[in-house]
Amino acid sequence: MASVLVIEDDDRIRLSLTLALEDEGYGVRAAATAEDGLAEHRQDPADTVLVDLMLPGLDGYDCIRGLRRDGDVPIVVVSARSDTHDIVAALEAGADDYLIKPVAIKELTARLRALRRRSRAALPVPALTFGDLEVRPLAGEVLLRGEPVALTRTEFRLLCELAEHAGQVLSRQQLLNRVWEYDFGDERLVDVHIGRLRQKIEDEPGAPRHVVTVRGLGYKLHR
Amino acid sequence: MRPLRLRTRVTAGFAAGALLISAAMAVLSYDLTRRTLLDSRERTAVRTAYFDATVVQAGLAADGDPGEVLRALDTGASRRVAVRRAETWYLRNADNGITQAIPVALREQVAAGQPSRQIVSTDSGAALVIGVPLPDGSQFYVIDSLQELGRTLSVLGLILTLVAVGTTACGAALGTYLARRALRPLASVADAARTITAGDLTTRLDPAAAPDLERLTSSFNGMVDQLAERLERDRRFAADVSHELRSPLQTLAAATSVLARRRDQLDDRSAQAVGLVVEEVGRFQALVTDLLELSQGDQQPARAPVDVADLARRACLDRGLSPTIVTDAAGADRVWHVDERRFAQVLANLLDNAERHGGGPVAVTVGGDDTLAVLDVDDEGPGVPPADRDSIFGRFVRGRGANARGDSNGTGLGLALVAQHVGAHGGRVSVIDRPGGGARFRVELPRESA
Repeated sequence: MASVLVIEDDDRIRLSLTLALEDEGYGVRAAATAEDGLAEHRQDPADTVLVDLMLPGLDGYDCIRGLRRDGDVPIVVVSARSDTHDIVAALEAGADDYLIKPVAIKELTARLRALRRRSRAALPVPALTFGDLEVRPLAGEVLLRGEPVALTRTEFRLLCELAEHAGQVLSRQQLLNRVWEYDFGDERLVDVHIGRLRQKIEDEPGAPRHVVTVRGLGYKLHR
Repeated sequence: MRPLRLRTRVTAGFAAGALLISAAMAVLSYDLTRRTLLDSRERTAVRTAYFDATVVQAGLAADGDPGEVLRALDTGASRRVAVRRAETWYLRNADNGITQAIPVALREQVAAGQPSRQIVSTDSGAALVIGVPLPDGSQFYVIDSLQELGRTLSVLGLILTLVAVGTTACGAALGTYLARRALRPLASVADAARTITAGDLTTRLDPAAAPDLERLTSSFNGMVDQLAERLERDRRFAADVSHELRSPLQTLAAATSVLARRRDQLDDRSAQAVGLVVEEVGRFQALVTDLLELSQGDQQPARAPVDVADLARRACLDRGLSPTIVTDAAGADRVWHVDERRFAQVLANLLDNAERHGGGPVAVTVGGDDTLAVLDVDDEGPGVPPADRDSIFGRFVRGRGANARGDSNGTGLGLALVAQHVGAHGGRVSVIDRPGGGARFRVELPRESA
């Protein structure tokens, strides 16, 4: 049974999400503050974490950064905030997906399933090499000049998708569709994740050699 | 008549002023110079005439021939001389015009022993006639030509006229310059207003730049402050309302899903009530989402190349419609430069509208020509009466057919959102009759913004 940690300060939302997700077959634990949530996760890591942004004390962004420091657990933001800068800030802090309240339970569980699938290897190939970058889809590893790089599952999945189609341009919507399984999604998800990926695998993230932007079309990984 | 522009008026005023002053100055100085020159010329002429008269008198006293005496005078080119003695004219040489040039009145005065002078006009221009009675009863006349003086004066006149014209032109130029300078602060006000209209509410006027316009500057800045404050208040209110509505809706959405799961375990009446709650929560959710979308509608679309025909097929599949109703007209470019998310919503709302009020969509056509990209969504419903064709794109307006059928699943915002999204892309949406019955909703985008 997959476990979900819900970090949400609104009692009613926390309770209703707990009930609904338990109905859908998840093992749900809930915390009302970021501090409690982080402690809970450290004690017994959950498979997925849902985070609200407006929390008393440590806010949602701090919470996401705290969770990221501890590992690559998939993080989904469920927030009433819909401003671009809130969305981008949460993704830059390390969130994997961003949902705006109110989100239907069907939609929420679809997102959670997509996230879980992301941890599985996309292509049954032992290793692909791009210059000093080596992607090992089966092992779930990425090496830069022989050194392992710590990627989150979403970043890894995104890199695998680009690696599988190396030399080809993938549009943002294609990437959203393949990595996040969205029919129509928010392209900011892709842009921020590409940025995070570059921070980790490029020597100069501002002048990338591996993952390049093709203006007006999308992204591609140089062979 | 339309009032003249301020700049034109100031320029004309300065030119007229300069003309008036320079013309008056020119006339005055011409007159003064003319008088002075004429005066001194006259004095010289009289002096010379008296000197000549003395010479003539001495010659005649020596009983010389008056003609000879006259010929002995040094007259130069400009002077002609004559002596009248005992009703007979004596001239230096045969120039007949000379005696006629001397007016009779002057002759009589001189004959009466009165020295006289008078300016007359001769065939060869103005001349000064001076008559001097001689002691022996004869009269000596000098006709001094003023041609030289006339030429000098006409050159002076020409110069003064040119100066007046030049001064007028300078006046006009000064007027233009000053008007432009005076209006420059107003141009900066206009620029600031334009930037603010374009959305930059941080623009303010610098009060130090135009001290003369202090009141305008301060009230302008005050106005922009107020505007920015009000917009910020509205934005914050929308954000607060959005948050306050979203949170309870989240609870409702999650709780109703728990209830919906257990509908089978409830008695009929409860199950029916739960069904209503689930439906209404869904509609409420859609309504809030649409309202929030509408309130953010003036945001710039995030454009990218989008295959609109493909988008339409996906929208049909999502609704369980056959994607074969989508056709793209041959030769028309089906890749438009639009915001994919917003255009997906345009398509979804048009298809939902056809489903709800038009008996289902029968055709979606992507076409247009070089200048206009066109998307048509056709249905086989009753069509839209001409009187309602504008108003159905308003908010919370429901078609008559919808009420008659008691169908109230829509939010009443679908077509308003369509109009807003298309408008944000620089296009328009309209409804016309479909050939063969039904309504045709048409989205048109200029190609340069598609």
